[in-house]
Amino acid sequence: MSDKPQPPGELLRDTLDMLILKTVSRGAMHGYAIAEHIEETSEDVLRVGEGALYPALHRLELRGLLSAEWGTSENKRRAKYYRLTAAGRKWLGEESAHWTKMTSAIGRVMETA
Amino acid sequence: MLSEWQRNLWLRVKALIHRRRLDRDLEDEVSFHLAQREQKYRSEGLPPETARHATRRKFGNDTLLREQTRDMWTFNWIETLWQDVCYSARGLRKNPGFAAVVVFSLALGIGANSTIFSVLNAVLYRPLPFDQPDRLMMIWETEYGHKTQPPVAEIIDWNRQNNVFEDIASSSRTEAEPLGGGGGLPELIQTQFVSPNFFNVLRVRPLLGRIFLTSEIHDQTQTVVISHAFWMRRFGGDPNVLGKTFTVSGVLSTVVGVMPRGFAPFYGDKIDLWYPINPAGDRYSKRDDRGWLFAFGRLKPGVTRDQAEAEMAIIARRLEQTYPKTNKGIGVIVEPLHEALYNWAGRVLYPLAAAVGFVLLIACANVANLLLSRTETRRKEHAVRASLGAGRRRLMQQVLAESGLLAFLGAALGVVLTFGGIWLFRLLAGDFPNSASLGVDRNVLLFTLAACLLTTVLSGSLPALLASRPDLNLALREGEHRMTSGGRGRIRQALAVVETALAVVLLAGAGLMIHSVLRLMQVNPGFDPHNLITAATSVPEGGKYLDRVPGGSMEKTSPLVNAFYQQLAANLAALPGVESVGTISFLLGGDFRDFYILGQPSPPPEKMPGAMYNEVSPSLFHTLRIPLKKGRFLDSHDTSSSPWVVVVNEAFAKRYIPHEDPIGKRLLLRYRGYGVDEPQPRQIVGVVGDVRHVGLARTTPEMIYAAYFQQPAAYPGGTVMPHLHQDLVIRTASPLAGREAEFSAAIKKAVAKLDPDQPVTDITTADRLLASSIEDSRFYLQLLATFAAMAVLLAAIGIYGVMAYFVRERTREIGIRIALGAQGRSVLGMIAQLGLKLTCLGIVIGLAMALGLTRLVADLFAVSTSDPATIAGVVLGLLVIALFACYFPARRATQVDPMVTLRYQ
Repeated sequence: MSDKPQPPGELLRDTLDMLILKTVSRGAMHGYAIAEHIEETSEDVLRVGEGALYPALHRLELRGLLSAEWGTSENKRRAKYYRLTAAGRKWLGEESAHWTKMTSAIGRVMETA
Repeated sequence: MLSEWQRNLWLRVKALIHRRRLDRDLEDEVSFHLAQREQKYRSEGLPPETARHATRRKFGNDTLLREQTRDMWTFNWIETLWQDVCYSARGLRKNPGFAAVVVFSLALGIGANSTIFSVLNAVLYRPLPFDQPDRLMMIWETEYGHKTQPPVAEIIDWNRQNNVFEDIASSSRTEAEPLGGGGGLPELIQTQFVSPNFFNVLRVRPLLGRIFLTSEIHDQTQTVVISHAFWMRRFGGDPNVLGKTFTVSGVLSTVVGVMPRGFAPFYGDKIDLWYPINPAGDRYSKRDDRGWLFAFGRLKPGVTRDQAEAEMAIIARRLEQTYPKTNKGIGVIVEPLHEALYNWAGRVLYPLAAAVGFVLLIACANVANLLLSRTETRRKEHAVRASLGAGRRRLMQQVLAESGLLAFLGAALGVVLTFGGIWLFRLLAGDFPNSASLGVDRNVLLFTLAACLLTTVLSGSLPALLASRPDLNLALREGEHRMTSGGRGRIRQALAVVETALAVVLLAGAGLMIHSVLRLMQVNPGFDPHNLITAATSVPEGGKYLDRVPGGSMEKTSPLVNAFYQQLAANLAALPGVESVGTISFLLGGDFRDFYILGQPSPPPEKMPGAMYNEVSPSLFHTLRIPLKKGRFLDSHDTSSSPWVVVVNEAFAKRYIPHEDPIGKRLLLRYRGYGVDEPQPRQIVGVVGDVRHVGLARTTPEMIYAAYFQQPAAYPGGTVMPHLHQDLVIRTASPLAGREAEFSAAIKKAVAKLDPDQPVTDITTADRLLASSIEDSRFYLQLLATFAAMAVLLAAIGIYGVMAYFVRERTREIGIRIALGAQGRSVLGMIAQLGLKLTCLGIVIGLAMALGLTRLVADLFAVSTSDPATIAGVVLGLLVIALFACYFPARRATQVDPMVTLRYQ
């Protein structure tokens, strides 16, 4: 069920995962903060509904790339905080290296063409 | 560290347990997000209503997201599968009759397969019950390409010269020997001669006492190791059994050890005791004493079978050079012990496995049929579900859940039937290797599980495929759902054809088997077996009856032996109701002697002809009513003081003296394997009719009948057995039926009066003895016939199912025909025509397959592969059964009320 092809126009799943992990790598964050941060830094590239974040977060938790625990938010509400695990850090490293390589390759092609 | 899926599973299991907490947490998480977002919008100055809507919009479909997330955490697919299973179960409950038939036919198929598998498992698949059994190797000698068994002297040389085996041990075949009275009735016990290292190579320790010492000699007194079963039977499990003595074959035997329960290498024989072979004893020093010992060794760690065989071949060549006289042309084969012992069983069992496989296939075809007709009636439902967005997988899953449920129920019942099947197999098969360990173990259960899965796939995949491609337009249009597309009807009909074909193969196999067994039962045994009692007696190879000649392998019989049998025959003949009494070494079988005919050029030793050999009393021919063809019978004038004479059978005369008159020819017999000739030649005085001495199923052996009282004083080695052992044949004056027990008691009493230590065993009638000689074929026949009956029954169910469905879907058409004036006969004809077409097609395909496949069984049991009468019988039988299966649906068709069918639409 996790391997369904995604409709076009949506952010590729691995890319979303990478953005989430990258965001969380700065420290434990709850879902809303993650959404806010991705939105701010990506200048609205993420036009999917914010809700799409949650299946992704849970999937990453199940894969062991994120760990989660319940805490209290700034405004004293119960909130679930996600944190990068060692496996998550490793995966992020690999994935972002791969990403850099690919984008620079694409960039070169686009410039020369 | 946990792998990803283990961790994943653990989280999911946790989620399953804390299901409600999971839901609440997800709820909290989402509502926290929404609240934060809404608050932010409001702080940016949006009015509350607008802020809430904007939040919702930005978040998207939260119900869907919640569902997606929940699916991720839970075993959702299991739940939907479970729903499908429950749905299927409800469907089956609505039609319990047919469901029961299908489940039962699957149970028969799976049970039969598991039963045969459990036999294969016990005989072929389970490793030998010894430490590191894969390192145990049988070592054969080859003599001019034929496997033989090495003499003791050779095994000693092997042990000295090789670097590949830890140790090489040897054991004789199991032999029956008389155990004297004293502590119980005289009986025949099963014994083996073994080398002192026998137990060490197998790595088995005695339960009590010790094993043999290398210095122990079997001669006037001996040490023995006894089996657990013998310990229990003869000594009641007495812990002080060590040091106890009894006489075996007249030799005083002292118990030095008791082996653990179940230790009985290698044939599943119930072995009672083991004697030591002392390799140093001069009795075993002869280098050509081949053919009675199995040699097996334990490979050193790291040595492969090929390496071992290569080195043993070098040793064999060296021995050939050292002992050219005895070792010329002798090679060595190293074979894994398990293979050497049990591989023959595969040739017998695999055809049976194929037969039960066919039964299961037929059962699967039936299930597929049932499912096809169910998907047919549910086409509309499938179409609706597909239109509403159900995936193909989901639709297929539902059909597979149904076939899985049926397969599971069938397998569960099949396990129960397996217990019954094993019980039945034991009952029919009697003793076979490892029969004691036959049972339902882990492997059998795993096999059953595999059969269950295979059944699910085989029977479900085709219907599932069809169900996953519903024709939305066609199915949704009202009124047309009763029409079947021709393709699907044809698939079902094809299944019925396949079923019939498979049933024909089994039926043809069983039919040919029945034919050959019936033929065997009519074979003329060469003597009159009616009103004839047979029994076995044997005087011991030792004690007062036999002396060992010092310094060699010769054994000298005492005059007591002749006196014993002469007196016994006289005593038995004097019993009331006895017409005549004869004795013969082995009624079923015989010893072997090589020979050459005096006056003809003598052939080289390795090309010397051989024949079966029996020592008989003069009255034997008369008692058995063997016809005389030429010359004369042996008679009471052929005594030790007259010239030695023999009678041969026609097979002997035809093969060895084809062009001359055999009467008057003189034979010089040679003890096979010893290279020693008899002290004087024997003259042929008569030719008698052929007797099937080796059983009804085999060709008549060339036979030499020698006069019992014309024998040398001393025999080499084991060749004395035909003299010591005699089968008694007693013809009664009046019909025997019902008086066997009376005669049996009288015979026992007569033997006991002569020597209370001598057992008399195997008291039976010649009729029964002959029947038992074809017991293997008969057993095979019973199994095949059982499987064929199952196959036919299941195929009949299949044909019935297809025809019934055919009638049901044509109800309207039939109604119209009847309304238009069609006669019942023509409706009946329409149904019968289709039934016949399918059956005939199946029969033709089946016969083609049968001709190829029965060859496999034919070689084993001398079955002719093409007996026209049998084949015709099979075809006719199947046609009748198929027509019967068509009859009920056809009758229903003729009773269709046109008004009802027309109004129904």
